[in-house]
Amino acid sequence: MTFAGSKFRAFLPAATFAMAAEFLMGLSDSVICGHVVGETGLAAVNLMQGVFDIVNFVSLLVAIGASVLFSTEVGAFHLRRARGYFTLGLGMSVVMGLLMALVLALTRIPVLAAFGVAAEVHEAASAYWLWYLPAAVFQPIVFYLGTMCYADGDARLSMISYVVQIVGNCALSVPLTIVWGTAGCAMGTGLGAFVGICALLFHFRRPSCMLGFSRHFAFSDILGITRTSLGDASKSIAKAVLMFALNAYVIARFGSEALPVLAVVVMTIGVSEIFDGVGNAAQPLIGVYVGENNGLLTRRVMRMALRLSLFEGVGVMTLLLACPRLMLSLAGLDDPALVHEAIVAVRLVSAALLGLAIVLLFNSYYVFIRREGISTALTLLAILVMPFALFPVGGAFWGMRGVWGALGAAPLVALGVFAVYLLVRFGARRFPLLLDDARNGDSRVFDLVLEPDSVCAVSTKVEEHVRRHGVDVVRAAKAALLVEETLMVVRDRNAGRCVLAEVTVDLNGGGVTLVLRDDGEVFDITDSDAKISSLRSYLVSNLMGELPHRRNLTTTGFNRNVYRL
Amino acid sequence: MDIAKKTEGDRMIIAVTGRVDTTTAPELDAGLKLAGNETLTLDLSGVPYMSSAGLRCLLTAQKTMMAGGGSMTIVGVQAAVREVLDITGFSSILTLA
Repeated sequence: MTFAGSKFRAFLPAATFAMAAEFLMGLSDSVICGHVVGETGLAAVNLMQGVFDIVNFVSLLVAIGASVLFSTEVGAFHLRRARGYFTLGLGMSVVMGLLMALVLALTRIPVLAAFGVAAEVHEAASAYWLWYLPAAVFQPIVFYLGTMCYADGDARLSMISYVVQIVGNCALSVPLTIVWGTAGCAMGTGLGAFVGICALLFHFRRPSCMLGFSRHFAFSDILGITRTSLGDASKSIAKAVLMFALNAYVIARFGSEALPVLAVVVMTIGVSEIFDGVGNAAQPLIGVYVGENNGLLTRRVMRMALRLSLFEGVGVMTLLLACPRLMLSLAGLDDPALVHEAIVAVRLVSAALLGLAIVLLFNSYYVFIRREGISTALTLLAILVMPFALFPVGGAFWGMRGVWGALGAAPLVALGVFAVYLLVRFGARRFPLLLDDARNGDSRVFDLVLEPDSVCAVSTKVEEHVRRHGVDVVRAAKAALLVEETLMVVRDRNAGRCVLAEVTVDLNGGGVTLVLRDDGEVFDITDSDAKISSLRSYLVSNLMGELPHRRNLTTTGFNRNVYRL
Repeated sequence: MDIAKKTEGDRMIIAVTGRVDTTTAPELDAGLKLAGNETLTLDLSGVPYMSSAGLRCLLTAQKTMMAGGGSMTIVGVQAAVREVLDITGFSSILTLA
C-alpha cells in the first residue's frame, strides 16, 4: 500500500457519498412525485430536469472555482486572500440564487407553453415550477457552503449536511406532496435545502475552521472563480440544454405519453453523477501534486482513479443490463403499456454509463491541471454535441429505441473522437494526461512504511540518485540526512502505529527539492523552535535553523514537508 | 559498514568504513564499547555519511573514554560528516584532528 493509494482510498468514501447524495437528492422529487402523484407527476418533474440542471450549473459555477482558489491560497499561507475568495463566493452564490429565482419566475409560463404537453402534465409542472423558486435561491448557497466545508477539511459535516438535506427533503416532501401534489414536493425541496444550510453553519463553530469573512471585491476574482469552475459547471448546462431538446423532441415525435419512459432514461443517465466521486477523491492529492509539478505522482493517482472509474462504469452498466427493473421501481413506473419499452430503454442507455465514468473523471482532471478549455470541450462533446447529433439520427431510423441507443452510444463515440483530437494536438507521448514528461525526467518517488530499515534504505537511494545527477557529496549527504532524520522523528512520534510515507526528489531547476509526506500525527517539523526531546530532534531543529528554504503545509490532514537545498 | 581495529601500544585505532545511520549505528556502538584502551583514535575517513544515531555513538564513546581517564581523537572526517558535526556543535565537544 502506497501513501497516495492509502490517501485516495481514504478520500473515496466521503467523495462518493457526496456524489451519491447529490444523485439521490436530484432523484428524490421524481421518486416522490412518481409514487405519490403517479405518471403525471413523474412526467411533470422530468420536464423540470432542465431547470434543475441550470440551478446546478449556477451552483457549480461559483462553488468549484471558489473552493479551488481558496485551497490554493491557504496552501500558499495567504489566509486573508483565501477568506476573500470565500466571502466573494458566498456573495456570488446569494446573488446568483436570487437572479435564478427571478429568471425562473419570468420564464415559467412561456417555457411550459413551448413544450406543448398534455393539460394535466402542464398543470402539475407549472405548480412544481412556481413552488420551486425558494429552492432555486437556497440550492446554490447550500451547495457552496457544503463544497467549502469539504475544501476546509470538514468532510464529515459535508456528508452530514447531505444526509440532512435528503432526509429533510423526503420527510417534508412526502406529506406535502400528499396534500398539495407536485407543489408540495417542490416546497419540501426548498425546505430541505434550508435545513442543509443550517446544518453547515456548525462548521463555523469548529476550532479548525479556516473559513471566515474578509472584505474583498474584484472583477478579476469573479472571472477567476467562474473560469476555474467552467469545466465542471459546463456539465450541468450541457445537460440542461440536452434535456430541453430531448423533452421537446420526444413530445413532438412520440407524444406526451412517452415522457415517463424518458424520465426513466434521464434517471438512468443520472446514475453517472456518482462516478464524479472518483474525481473528487483524487482532487486533494492531484491538486497538491500539480502544484508541485509532480507528474510522476499525478500519473500514479490518475492510474488508480481510471481503474476505479472503469470498474464502477462496467459494474453499474452490468447491473442495469441484468436488472433494468431497478430503475422502473425507483421511478414508480408500473403502467403495463410502458414497462417493456422502459426496460429496453434502460438497457440501451446503460452503455452511456461506462463512457460517462471516464468522461467525468477526465473532465475533473483537466480542471485540476488548469486546462479548463479542454475540460469544457470534452464535456460539451460527450454530454451535449454527440448526443444531440446522434439521437435525431437514431430516432429517424429506429424510432424511440433509436433515440435511447444513440444516447447510450454518444459518450463512448465522443471519447473516441476526443482521443483522436488529443493525439493529433498533443502527440502520443503526452496523451491523455497532457503532462510535460521532460519536466519530471530527473524526479524520483519513493514509497515506504516507516521502519528503520526502510527509512535508511530510502535515505541511501536518495543520496545515490542525487549523486548520479551530479550533485556534490555534501549536498547529497544532507539530502539523505534530512530524509532519515525527518522520517525517523515522524516514526518516533507515532510509536506503535503503521505510518505510510512518500518521498519525492526533484532535481529540476538546478537545486534539490525534497517533498516528504506522511500520514502520521500532524505537526510542524520545520519549526526550529520546536521542543527538543532527543539527540535526533536536536539535530533536526539545528538542520531546520540552517535551511532557508523549508515549508510545512498540513494539507487535508497529512504532513507535507518541503526542503530545498 | 566495516570496523577495523588495530592496537599500537596503549593506543587503539578503529577505522570505520561505510554509512553510519540508524540501522548501522548499533554496530559502531558495539565496536567502540570494546575499545577499553587509554587512547582511542577513531578514523572516519571511510565514512561518507553520519546521522544522529552515529553522533550518539561518538558522544557515548567520548564520555566512556573520559570517565576512564582516557581520550578519543577523531581523524579523517569527510566534509559531509564535518558539516553534521558543525551543525550540532559536536565539533567543539569532540576532539577532531
